[in-house]
Amino acid sequence: MVVENEVLPYLQWLWRGDGASFVDGKGALVQFAIIALTIFVLGLVGGFLVALVRQGPVRAGEITYRTLVGGFGDLFRLSFRRIAALASLAIKESLRRRVWVALVVFAMILLFASWYLGVNNREPARLYLSFVTAATSYLMLLLSLVLAAFSLPTDIKNKTLYTVTTKPVRSGDIVLGRILGFTVLGTALLAIMAAASWFFVNGALAHTHTVDTRSLEAIRGADGETIGKEGETSRDAFHTHPFSVDAEGYGFTDQVSEHSHALTADGDAIVVGPAEGYLRARVPLRGKISFLNPQGVPVAKGISVGNEWSYRSFIQGSTQAAAVWTFDGVNESTLMEYEDGSKYLPVAAIVRVYRSYKGIIEQAIQGSIQLRNPETGVKSTLRVFPAKDFAIDSFEFANEQTDTDQNDITILDDLVTEDGRIEVIIQCLDRGQYFGFAQADCFIRLPEGSPLWNFVKGFLSIWMQMVIVIAVAVMMSTFLSGPIAMVTAITFIVLGFFRTFFLQIALGESYGGGPVESLVRLVTQMNVMSPFERTPSVDAMKAIDGVLKGAMRAVSNVLPDFSTYLDRVRYVAEGFSIPTDAVLHDLTVSLAYVVGMAIVGYFCLRTREVAKS
Amino acid sequence: MSGTSPGTAVIETRALSKVYRDFWGRQKVRALKALDLEVYQGEIFGLLGPNGSGKSTTIKLLLGLLFPTDGQALVFGKEATDVSKNERIGYLPEESYLYKFLNAEETLDFYGRLFDIPAEVRKERIEKLLKLVGIDRARKRQLREYSKGMTRRIGLAQALINDPELILLDEPTSGLDPIGTREMKDMILQLRDQGKTVVMCSHLLADVQDVCDRIAILHQGELKELGRVDSLLTVEDVTQVRARNLSDDCKNELRDVIQRHGGDLLEMDNPTTTLEDLFLSIVRDSEERPGRRVVGPQSTAGGDTPAPPATAN
Ligand SMILES: Nc1ncnc2c1ncn2[C@@H]1O[C@H](COP(=O)(O)OP(=O)(O)O)[C@@H](O)[C@H]1O
Ligand SMILES: [Mg+2]
Repeated sequence: MVVENEVLPYLQWLWRGDGASFVDGKGALVQFAIIALTIFVLGLVGGFLVALVRQGPVRAGEITYRTLVGGFGDLFRLSFRRIAALASLAIKESLRRRVWVALVVFAMILLFASWYLGVNNREPARLYLSFVTAATSYLMLLLSLVLAAFSLPTDIKNKTLYTVTTKPVRSGDIVLGRILGFTVLGTALLAIMAAASWFFVNGALAHTHTVDTRSLEAIRGADGETIGKEGETSRDAFHTHPFSVDAEGYGFTDQVSEHSHALTADGDAIVVGPAEGYLRARVPLRGKISFLNPQGVPVAKGISVGNEWSYRSFIQGSTQAAAVWTFDGVNESTLMEYEDGSKYLPVAAIVRVYRSYKGIIEQAIQGSIQLRNPETGVKSTLRVFPAKDFAIDSFEFANEQTDTDQNDITILDDLVTEDGRIEVIIQCLDRGQYFGFAQADCFIRLPEGSPLWNFVKGFLSIWMQMVIVIAVAVMMSTFLSGPIAMVTAITFIVLGFFRTFFLQIALGESYGGGPVESLVRLVTQMNVMSPFERTPSVDAMKAIDGVLKGAMRAVSNVLPDFSTYLDRVRYVAEGFSIPTDAVLHDLTVSLAYVVGMAIVGYFCLRTREVAKS
Repeated sequence: MSGTSPGTAVIETRALSKVYRDFWGRQKVRALKALDLEVYQGEIFGLLGPNGSGKSTTIKLLLGLLFPTDGQALVFGKEATDVSKNERIGYLPEESYLYKFLNAEETLDFYGRLFDIPAEVRKERIEKLLKLVGIDRARKRQLREYSKGMTRRIGLAQALINDPELILLDEPTSGLDPIGTREMKDMILQLRDQGKTVVMCSHLLADVQDVCDRIAILHQGELKELGRVDSLLTVEDVTQVRARNLSDDCKNELRDVIQRHGGDLLEMDNPTTTLEDLFLSIVRDSEERPGRRVVGPQSTAGGDTPAPPATAN
């Protein structure tokens, strides 16, 4: 399962989002401005009302005015020197509270992982990568939450903050100092964990084989002379590789469990090199999917088969049904080059096989793939392949092809249109069986990125998640006590992870209605689909739900979408390069959170009577 | 450094009131009731009053740690909630609210960094202050290991890190031994001699009497008395005469003279020294000649080391 969400180009995302232009207001900048303005107005009105109840109208007006004017004035009197001093204080505090214990915990986790995660897995790299990223991610979340949520309340409780606030320190210095301090500390810890993870994953995947000499057989040419050897490697790390080498004894093993080994000759013996290709950073060129129905007529969707994810559509075997991807921007530089200088188009596809009857389970379902020119309709000959369910199949189409009428053609001249379009068509060949596809399931492989750099980008996602958590927790701790700040921040984060679902409820898109209605259904064990009879209490229930949904919609606007960061980390585990646009997008969002939370925290702390606790 | 000259008001409060409320805004305590005060440049001003009379509340209002319920507190002519005044203020809290995980040096360095002071000046000042308050030798020890008195000292050093013009001291001598108290009082006087304004509050009458130029007496949040210490304490209708080596005849003669003039003799006997003076002289003595001091036979508390034969008296 690869990445499903499309990543918009950064500037487009910032400026107009998926709207047609800036004025549509779908751009991130506009959204941010709307949220900021809403919070500002709410804060102003809320603050005034609180002051009104406590101090009466005249004084409330005065207080609000002074907070507003003085507050924005002081916002520009922040000093980096003071922020740095407060940040280093936060770091010292955490160090003396022994945060490095987290590293010990992390080391233990890796240790246990190396015992319990065997490599007996078809995708060991993915297993290890998801494990280390998940472990780091949750550990850092917990750590930054605890550090950030308790620091300021402890300072207020111990009254140490009195002494600090009698120095020329602005509330903003205190909030930013905390955020900066914990971020620096978290960065250091995260960097250590990332380095440890990298070595751990590489170490865990590293293995080699020897050649099983009994399996060696000579390959003979037409004239009977030996042109190479073939055989199998020894069984190590739960697998063997079949291989063939040339007459000198050089070559590669076959791919097994997503890796292969180089083979070199050492005298008469053949030496197996280290594992290669576990860690990848594929860069896909994505296309647009469309489907042909069993009669070969274009349809928007294929057959949707029952319990599968709704986004994936299915095509029926041994009919004219097909999945068609149209790729844009294909040109000479898209093609890769073999060592001998000839070119090829690398296409990758992930086929989800759906068997309507069992058939022979060991025998793979056959599929076909071909290229087509969307303008002229010229097609390359069918290429038949055994479909591996859920794994990435790679196809290399040499530039020289033959079309369906056995004419010699080339991809660049005959299959790609003037404006750089080409189609990939996949069909299922076995009668009564189905293939399932989503748009992301087929792509052209552009030159791969560096796996190490991609790994760093993955940890950068975890880092951004950490920064947001710190900012949120520090903001909450400016007006809540430590434990409550932490619980609130946790709630915020959990909702952030399930933001999509939360939003569905808020928009009334989920089955079973709003919060109260679903509760009623739950308690009375009522089916989620059956409607209620109209009674006053049902009306009241719907009314309350309406209000709650409105509140939820409002909250969801400021919820960080933490599932994004999970998604990014999944890119790494699945061997895809995290797009630069995505990194920029995430960085911007994190920055927006830090700025937003710092300003809200600043006003909360400023209007708080420090000595009255 | 400042634009204030002697005689100008550094602190001004106008009908300053504070009501502590609970979370729901209900009134709990009226801690301060319409206080009107002025503190002038270069004086030591004492706030005197029993526990809970509103002294600390006043100081916290002056610092902007609390917001007034009513009235105004002006420091250097600015609202007390204005942060920029803090550049020129030093504050010693009632208990030294300092970070226990820092050592003395780190503490002073941290608070120093919150001011716009060049690094060399800051380092110099830290050295000077550590010596001044006498915790030079414990500079590398974390504050959690400090005794109450040492914490007071580092608290004072912290308050002086910015070379402030106005120093607010909340119970400066609490927790200090008599020597510490003496030293603290001397330091306060020294600060005044350097032209700084000091506001201190205390419930210890002797402390206030020894150092303060002017005092205000608070009781249950209300100002009861305000004025110069010397004039407040002068008993107008009593005359004190102290003389050495008077014979009994001379004393009798004095009695007669007083009687003849219609005076009322209140007392005439040998004065006792104060316990403070006795204690201080013993400690000074012991510092000059270290070793066990010879005292009366009743004080053989040592047990295993037999006391030398008493030769006192
Ligand atoms: N944070 C607070 N909340 C409620 N009441 C307080 C608070 N601080 C002080 N008080 C009350 O205000 C009064 C004055 O206290 P304070 O100014 O500390 O007295 P002191 O003169 O001993 O320094 C006391 O009655 C005290 O109980
Ligand atoms: Mg007090």
